[in-house]
Amino acid sequence: MPKSMSYAILEAIQGEMRRDKLLTLLYEYQQPATRWANRSIDLEKEFGRWRARFSAIDENWIVGGALGMSMIGVRAIAHIPSMTTLIPYELMFNHAGKLRHMTGGQAAFPMVLWADMQGRSPFQAGQHADAGLESCYARLAGLKVVIPSNPYDAKGLMISAIRDVDPVVFCQYPVPTSGPDVPDEPYTIPIGQAVVRTQGKDITIVGYARQTLEIAKAVEQLKQRGISAEFIDPRTLAPLEQVMVTIIKSVKKTGKLLTSDDGSYSFCNCTEIIARVAEAVPGVTFKRLAFPDAPPPGAPEMINYMRVSATDIVAAAEKMVRG
Amino acid sequence: MNGQGRDNENKAALSIGAKDPKAIPRRTFIQGLSAIGMGSIFFSTGLAKEAKAQSVSTYIDSLSTKQLRTMYTEMLKIRLWETKIKDLALKGGFRGVAHLYVGEEAIAVGVCSALRRDDYIASTHRGHGHLIAKGGDLNLMLAEITHKATGYCKGYGGSLHITDMALGILGMNGIVGAAHLFGAGAAYGIKVKGTDQVVVSFGGDGSIQGSFFTSAANSAATYKLPWISIIENNQFQIWVRCSDVYAVRDLARRADGYGIEGRVVDGNDVLAVYDAAKYAVEKARAGGGPTVIECKTYRWYDHYGFRGSKIGRDGAFGLGYRSDRELREWMAKDPIPRFRRFLVNEKVLTEELADEIVAEVTKAVEDAAAFAKAQPVPKPEDGLSNVFAEGAVPLHKN
Repeated sequence: MPKSMSYAILEAIQGEMRRDKLLTLLYEYQQPATRWANRSIDLEKEFGRWRARFSAIDENWIVGGALGMSMIGVRAIAHIPSMTTLIPYELMFNHAGKLRHMTGGQAAFPMVLWADMQGRSPFQAGQHADAGLESCYARLAGLKVVIPSNPYDAKGLMISAIRDVDPVVFCQYPVPTSGPDVPDEPYTIPIGQAVVRTQGKDITIVGYARQTLEIAKAVEQLKQRGISAEFIDPRTLAPLEQVMVTIIKSVKKTGKLLTSDDGSYSFCNCTEIIARVAEAVPGVTFKRLAFPDAPPPGAPEMINYMRVSATDIVAAAEKMVRG
Repeated sequence: MNGQGRDNENKAALSIGAKDPKAIPRRTFIQGLSAIGMGSIFFSTGLAKEAKAQSVSTYIDSLSTKQLRTMYTEMLKIRLWETKIKDLALKGGFRGVAHLYVGEEAIAVGVCSALRRDDYIASTHRGHGHLIAKGGDLNLMLAEITHKATGYCKGYGGSLHITDMALGILGMNGIVGAAHLFGAGAAYGIKVKGTDQVVVSFGGDGSIQGSFFTSAANSAATYKLPWISIIENNQFQIWVRCSDVYAVRDLARRADGYGIEGRVVDGNDVLAVYDAAKYAVEKARAGGGPTVIECKTYRWYDHYGFRGSKIGRDGAFGLGYRSDRELREWMAKDPIPRFRRFLVNEKVLTEELADEIVAEVTKAVEDAAAFAKAQPVPKPEDGLSNVFAEGAVPLHKN
């Protein structure tokens, strides 16, 4: 059994906390301890309570405290639960993303906002099953936003995020274990670079986090139907410049861009990707698949009907390719 | 050019110190203080009483002649530098904005005099005074407030965001209450680092109601962080009178609810502020945790800008939300002449020496204005830089 997402992330943080003797984690109830096979990680036990500190239910402290300590050179990770991902939004909007610029480069926030994200699960409803909030952060100047789709990417992106001197929002959607095995040693995945998951020539499909599972299924089904889809996982949502180089290169080849997003239809992050392709490549056919502009309902009949599935992706791609 | 500005500043400070022909022996201030009504702490909250904290004049007595003169000089610097901003703006063509601190100088100077250079402060939109008191360079500040390329923030920030990280200034900040939170975060970082530094967060009376103060105070108390929160109660939140939006009169009472000692002091009395701040700093350094100090004072000018003010006249009159009479009453409690009288009475200064200090500071302020005026403006394309540590963001116009 390969390492899970949560084990991979804690292994990344553990390695960095051993490397940087000041690196500190603030969190609420999500204990930084986990097991895999016969191994376990317990950050509080290994590094002490000052460096792995549970907090009151107080997201403004977790993020504001992390920002404050990072200003004096104590790198920090702020771990925020999924239903309150946007409580510290003001801190990221008006401070984290702006202070370097406002101070002419004097002040820096080498911190990571590790945001748990929800994935449109049934039986949760409304507040505990939302998705797409990463686009709220990705639109803020001065922030980097990464969004891993498997444990391997999660570890490499978390290490890059911690080592970055700019504030990084690390969005963790619940993703089942998949992808390459996670090495024990530290490694980095550069922030700002997309990855081509599957090469193809007929249509470009872009999606991240949990949608990558649906897209991967759809790509197999399309292949059986004689359609060659190129599947790109952006992995970084801000800054988008280098990610777009990969996507635009693909769309120039295929002429068709289908995006699939768990966020709401309006202003989902893939909307931005479509807009940038539209500016850069003439004559492209587009389709945006996303969750309707509605809160997520609890009943499985309703939410499963509304969220984007592999079947939806196959149908949309076939329509775009065959007309 | 920046370095030159700093050098000039240092020389000015040195020359004032050098005008001390005969050392004045250390005094016992208590009698002098009570004679002039200074050095008194109005009120301690329940926790402060329980802690049996020393209340009056414990620390004032150990201030040296040099320190006292520096405190007077720093208060003057704030007053005259900001008054210069006002006069420049009223003349027209001023490249910037300002939230003036005039009238509140005793707080910034009283607090920062209790700090070491390697201690931190987190400041507010009304923060010029805090920066000057922490050692900020008048030239670089005036260049920044007029958005020149050689200002503290290279013209990116202006009045609301002046910072000198090298002096431990974690930024002025245009969002009310943020200084409390970042200051407490920095104080947590100090505990992780294991040093004996402390952090002072400044905020106005409006800064303690939003959640940032709650988050900062609860964490600082729980973890016993080396954090001191200074509430500058100038009685107005923009134009809203404090007593119209708070049911409690003494805001430091709130501290008790978090498990923090609270003090209320006369914010126009630099020695009372110093005494309370020094107590809090020493306690924080020794691991005793945070203190909240409310300083009662009054804002001489409007919340923002120069409405109701004139060149060559102090204060903003006819503002509608307050009476001119109330302003005059507070101007009569001006902290600067009050401190000067005390220093002369105590023979720390003579009138002549005090006048010399005024002349030196006046000259330093004129020099700052000339310095700022001569500085180049930023290159337009620099607005695309400093978004991230490396590179520039695209303009996206082509």
